[in-house]
Amino acid sequence: MNDKELFEKYDMSAEELFARIDHNELESEKITAPRYSYWKSVFRVFFRKKSNIVMLALLGVIIAMSYLYPTFVEYDKYGNVLDAASKHLRPLAAMKLLGYNIHWILGTGSAGNSTFDAVWYGAQISISLAFVCALINLTIGVVVGAVWGFSKKVDAIMMNVYNVVANIPYVLLISVLVMLFSPSFWTMVFALTVTGWISIAYFIRTQVIIIRDREYNLASKCLGTSTPKIAMKNILPFMTSVIVTLAATEIPSYISYEVFLAYIGMGLSDMSLGRLIYEAEGAMVTPGWEFEFWSPVAVSAIVSIVLYVVGQNLGDASDPRTHM
Amino acid sequence: MAKYLTKRILYSIFSVMAVVVIVMIMVYSLMDRIKVFANDSNYTKLLNNQKITYRYQQWESYGYLDYVSYTDYINQLALDGEIDEETRSAAVSLGRTADKDSETVAAYVAEFTEYYESQGYTVERYDAVLAGSKVATGGTQILIAYKDIPLISRIISYFSNLFEFDNINYVEDDVGERGLTFTLYDPLYGGEKFSPAIIGNGTYHKYLLYFDDQFPYIHQNFLTINLGVSYSVNLGIDVWDTMTQTQGSYVMREVTYETGLTENSADNLHTATYISGSQSATAVNAERYVDNYTSVSTYNFGRSKMGYSFIMGIIAVIMAYVLGLPLGVLMARYKEGLLDRIGTLYIIFIIAVPSLAYIFMFKAIGGSVFGLPTTFNMESSSKLYYVLPIISLALPSIGNLMKWMRRYMIDQMNSDYVKFARSGGLSETEIFSKHIMKNAAIPIVHGIPGSVLGALTGAIITERVYVVPGAGNLLTSAISAYDNGVIVGVTLFYAVLTVTSIILGDLLMSMVDPRISFTTKDR
Repeated sequence: MNDKELFEKYDMSAEELFARIDHNELESEKITAPRYSYWKSVFRVFFRKKSNIVMLALLGVIIAMSYLYPTFVEYDKYGNVLDAASKHLRPLAAMKLLGYNIHWILGTGSAGNSTFDAVWYGAQISISLAFVCALINLTIGVVVGAVWGFSKKVDAIMMNVYNVVANIPYVLLISVLVMLFSPSFWTMVFALTVTGWISIAYFIRTQVIIIRDREYNLASKCLGTSTPKIAMKNILPFMTSVIVTLAATEIPSYISYEVFLAYIGMGLSDMSLGRLIYEAEGAMVTPGWEFEFWSPVAVSAIVSIVLYVVGQNLGDASDPRTHM
Repeated sequence: MAKYLTKRILYSIFSVMAVVVIVMIMVYSLMDRIKVFANDSNYTKLLNNQKITYRYQQWESYGYLDYVSYTDYINQLALDGEIDEETRSAAVSLGRTADKDSETVAAYVAEFTEYYESQGYTVERYDAVLAGSKVATGGTQILIAYKDIPLISRIISYFSNLFEFDNINYVEDDVGERGLTFTLYDPLYGGEKFSPAIIGNGTYHKYLLYFDDQFPYIHQNFLTINLGVSYSVNLGIDVWDTMTQTQGSYVMREVTYETGLTENSADNLHTATYISGSQSATAVNAERYVDNYTSVSTYNFGRSKMGYSFIMGIIAVIMAYVLGLPLGVLMARYKEGLLDRIGTLYIIFIIAVPSLAYIFMFKAIGGSVFGLPTTFNMESSSKLYYVLPIISLALPSIGNLMKWMRRYMIDQMNSDYVKFARSGGLSETEIFSKHIMKNAAIPIVHGIPGSVLGALTGAIITERVYVVPGAGNLLTSAISAYDNGVIVGVTLFYAVLTVTSIILGDLLMSMVDPRISFTTKDR
């Protein structure tokens, strides 16, 4: 078989198999590899697990309920206050008395108010507080922590600051601040963030110190890369998964903390989840009143768990080593 | 090592002092001092000038300022013998307004004003508040002088009074021959039973060293710790005593007093302290005591605040380590297995759910399903009351320890020495128990002193939910009662515990792991 026969057999021409291409300087510099986009891969890995989609959907529902529901529904705590029969009702009894609609599916509270509405109003305040505090603390914490980890001079000073600040009882600090100002939303944000960032900064500092002296950073330094560039290009990508994981534990912890503060009587004056639990504490052991106590407890638990699980899995997915 | 340790301890003392200073600035300067009266029903009842007097008196006892009233001043002059009784009674009656003062009064008022203003006091006079022609309720005219205590002097006096050494020159009265007596036979036990004791005369405490049947069996009173005096939480009692004194109903036993009188009483005669002139002051004291050492504390049925917190905390800590560590090890050993999955769910539950929520859950389950008592009763000797608080304390720490143990084990599993051991033919069990566990335990060891000492401070939520009379609630109740002395004292106590546990943790870690050294020389 000669070439021609072969070409005919496979229905090909010589040009198709071999063609002469001129040498091109520009083309030869190109490196062919599959396209890699960091965030695309993060979400690809994240959505590969089916349970994550469920969790994310649940998170979406919770966020929608706590932010959209209160804008459409007017919640008046004292709307039924004059109706003595409407207080502390079980769901069925409440619906029988006040009509079959969504407000009464969790029964009524101490003022004949709808527990269902109260819970979502509370969830809005608690979730907002958690997000705002986490955002502020993480931003300050990461920036300060990065500087703290990089500079030995800053480290010496900051360690002493940390030893002092970390020893001030958190409860004390918050209650003094709440006493100084009114117990409003922004006071609470201030109280939770005024020293809250330092433990995050300390955590980031330890992480930075661990990877600061790795060989690839040393090589980068020898090649003359400036420190800000090393921080931005070499270390920050490494930290992304750490920061996301940190956010996953931080956000629920603020919800938990707000509940705790409200319980010891130092919480917000607004109707947050914590305050609902605090005010309904006596209802826990009273037969027939359980709903008004357990509903905010359950919602705060569900909100925190969902936030935590989504955050953890996002943290796992944002680690490039899982992108294979 | 010694040099490093000294440096560490010095640094720690410095940081503890800084914490106390910051807290003092916060409570004494930042907090509005009128807030002290927020929950004071006496204050709201008082009217007019009486309210002002009360306000300054309270502020003085809270440590905000020095306060002197004109009446006190005149009475003090009389006591010192500078003026006689006649002048005193003439001088003490202020006029309703300044221009109605008698000549004597005006002279002494001028003297009072000049004397205190020269010392930096602010002198204020409040004229009588009239209702018609009569003086209104609480409207009696007053003349007062007050001076804010500067923060610096408050801080200095706080730290200098922190440790008090009892000495034989403590009592100012004439007490006869001062001195310490050492006896092998404690007179309180009839003078025949062998029980060494040191008894002082002229000291603040009568018994400086003694043995009895109360934990820790040997007691000393040479050194007293003054963390600060409580005001509204536990009137006039030091924070340290508030935390360590036993609570609950009296325990009666047969007590033979020094005069030979025997009766059933809860008095603990070993704790006698000196109060000037007290023996002859009341018939009760005269019948029982031969000297002025008459102030005694009592035997009570319950434990102290710290005692409750510690006993619950320490059992919970032991439970946490005994259960949490093996579970964490098993989770790592059979990674991705059933136990690992259940354990991870539990860990997520503990981390994510607000602690208040799961403590309530344990309380509800324990109360209804297992029928355990959910409200602590100090007067009962039943051990069942301890079960739920201890479980509520232990379950979160178990989750936490499981999480870290699993994390450290899995981190170690991927290291080179494990691969080397495996290639050398060691069995998995051997690798786990002899190599991985030893290395993974090092960071765990660091936390042990912290959790043991942390048991002393109590747990705020748990103690509140189960109504345990422990130390955990002290800070929050002090804050809500605006008791500055307790706030500062408890903070100091917490800070010392934290700093100590970090140092102890480091030391323990360097003992367990010979590679860790705090002195660079021996490398």
